[in-house]
Amino acid sequence: MSVIEKEQEVVENLVDLLSEEQVNTNNEDLYEASVDRYKKYAFARNALDVPQPVAIVYPNSSDEVSKLLQFCNEERINVIPRSGDTSTEGGLENWKDITVIIDAENLNRIVDIDTYNMQATVQAGVPLEELEDELREKGFTTGHSPQSKPVAKMGGLVATRSIGQLSTLYGGIEDMVIGLECVFPDGHISKIKNVPRRAGGPDIRHIAIGNEGTLCYITEVTVKIFKHYPENNKFYGYLTEDIETGIKVLREVMVNGYRPSVARAYSEEDAKQHFYHFSKDKCVLILMAEGPENIVEATGEAVEEAVDKFSDGIIEEVDSELIENWFNNLNWSQQDIEDEYEGMKENDSHAGFTTEISADWGTIPIIYNNVMERIKNEFPRAHELTLLGGHSSHSYINGTNLYFVYNYEINCAPEDELRVYHHPIHKIIVEETLKHGGSMCHHHGIGKYRSQWTKEEHGSAYYMLEKLKEVFDPNGIMNYGSIYPKEDGIKKYIKKEE
Amino acid sequence: MKIICLVKYVPNVEDIKYDYEENVLIRDNVKLILNPDDAAAVAYSLKAKEVNPDLSIEVLTMGPKSVRPFVEDLLRRNVNKATIISDPAFAGSDTYATSKILASYLKEKEYDCILTGSKSLDGDTAHVPAQLGELLSLNQMSNIISIDQDSFNEKSAIIEVESGDKTLTYRMSFPAILSFRKETGYELPYIKYENMSLDVSDKLNFISNEELQLDEDMIGLKGSLTRVANTYNKNFKEKNKIVVKNDDQGIDYVYSFLKKKGFV
Repeated sequence: MSVIEKEQEVVENLVDLLSEEQVNTNNEDLYEASVDRYKKYAFARNALDVPQPVAIVYPNSSDEVSKLLQFCNEERINVIPRSGDTSTEGGLENWKDITVIIDAENLNRIVDIDTYNMQATVQAGVPLEELEDELREKGFTTGHSPQSKPVAKMGGLVATRSIGQLSTLYGGIEDMVIGLECVFPDGHISKIKNVPRRAGGPDIRHIAIGNEGTLCYITEVTVKIFKHYPENNKFYGYLTEDIETGIKVLREVMVNGYRPSVARAYSEEDAKQHFYHFSKDKCVLILMAEGPENIVEATGEAVEEAVDKFSDGIIEEVDSELIENWFNNLNWSQQDIEDEYEGMKENDSHAGFTTEISADWGTIPIIYNNVMERIKNEFPRAHELTLLGGHSSHSYINGTNLYFVYNYEINCAPEDELRVYHHPIHKIIVEETLKHGGSMCHHHGIGKYRSQWTKEEHGSAYYMLEKLKEVFDPNGIMNYGSIYPKEDGIKKYIKKEE
Repeated sequence: MKIICLVKYVPNVEDIKYDYEENVLIRDNVKLILNPDDAAAVAYSLKAKEVNPDLSIEVLTMGPKSVRPFVEDLLRRNVNKATIISDPAFAGSDTYATSKILASYLKEKEYDCILTGSKSLDGDTAHVPAQLGELLSLNQMSNIISIDQDSFNEKSAIIEVESGDKTLTYRMSFPAILSFRKETGYELPYIKYENMSLDVSDKLNFISNEELQLDEDMIGLKGSLTRVANTYNKNFKEKNKIVVKNDDQGIDYVYSFLKKKGFV
């Protein structure tokens, strides 16, 4: 049977399983579904090198997801679970000739908002912003606010271990998920119940949270909700001599036991692109205190004390209204994404590529300085970098993350952009991070483009990850190439050796 | 056929910052870019070479040695040869001294025509092409917006030139200096992946005053006839900063502002 015949047969079977309206074979939509934001430049230039999926399907229930997965499992058809489409590391990119995208668009119901028990249950396709808006009307919040909030959906956020800009107070999505429902390739539906805590063996939520569609399909999640006190918000901004000063202040606040919701330290280069109107080419430190009034007061005092302690590196305070204004315009909308694509069609440049890592407080400055040094000295196209910098934006008691940010002019064909520019930089960042014991993937996931280093990331614990795949997806139908390294895909689509 | 493309690497004006306290331009960390008008000239030459593979292109630039990686990228795009004229003795040269330095190199070279930009982003004087024409006794034409590909040969070319609100058509006899505008729409081709790190050092020459042997009185600050009576930065007074919120009132304010300035 030819590939085309096989594709037709798969589509017919999908229609039989669901309905014609639930099976999308529109060519433009399939082109869009071949990749995620990782290949946004090649996508904008119509230069994609990966196969299109056969169809995008929209199940209406967990039972339909179960039927679909059973079918694909029996037929050995690659499945890419999708909910939101804001992934950035190739997690939604297709590497197989026959692939079905299962999109959670129709799983769009807010099941329950329980303000007494402080939890909300939603189906996977509910947009985060929709849930957040509902909660805000009642005086609550999810506490989850990734930059992609206007377009991200709950299932995708949980499947990728998403983090929000207020994570230092509220935690990452893994700290918010109480229970969930997910479907495995053999069609089994598991529902993990909603309890405050339990000691019932290993915490099985974490098999689904962050699985990036490689083990199961998340259909429903229950998350914590929090009281919202926007009227108490306090904003703090400072210009600092260097990013190390900013990181020292963040550490001081954290280790003293305080939890600002926003806690960010920017290098001067990165600060310039976000805060050109006040950064004066200096590094920028930003904090925000949020919550009940007395907690905000105490957190604010702790911020000021920490700033005092490191006053040698503080140049000046920034008007808090400027920080508040920045905070109110943080997220990108669908319009921003479309504008970005238009810009990439017109200009031979790529702005805003990022690689995010994490490490303990002592290691972070070492990684930052080594990466900067190596990129400047080893990257053969360093003369085309128009920005190289970074920031820390999520802090913990024992360390923080670093977002390396780089923009560059592009002088090669769109299909070569990643291997000429991004991959060599990305490689330096990952190598330096792993060499010093950090994590190469703070919150964007591994996707397909960091799978080369998954084994190194996990070391001897990779055994556990590997066994999960063997048990839950023995036929390897779930999101081929994501998290688990696949040599053929790496050669063909990353190294382009074929 | 042999073309010499005269190019200049200029600071990306978007990177230049202004120190309001000291009232000076800050040029630190400013990225260099190929002057857009000059890029159009190289782009046209490469396009012509596609049609006529025997055509030979030499890129000539004067500037600091740090332009090397940018020049190497032009060689990786199929330019045959590049020459960088660089010497601390040339620093501070005005457009006249610069033209003399370039002319001293060019007068020894064989070529059918010199293609370049009409003006540079940084100086904006448009002196150099015309001065070179004078020094080399060549005809020179600025503001070229297109060249008829079929007519482009060793003897002449039919060109279109923007002149006010009109477009004029000329036939230029060679040798001559043709100065392009970036609006030609000619774009540099991409570098092929396999050529991104190609060693092109054998096609790159550095020329200093040791080779040109120009009298020190002719070059650099000494040789620059331009006498600067006074320099001052355009007085960029820091405008009153008005921060508006992302609400109806803020949107109204921004809209009225843009309307007042004639943008909407």
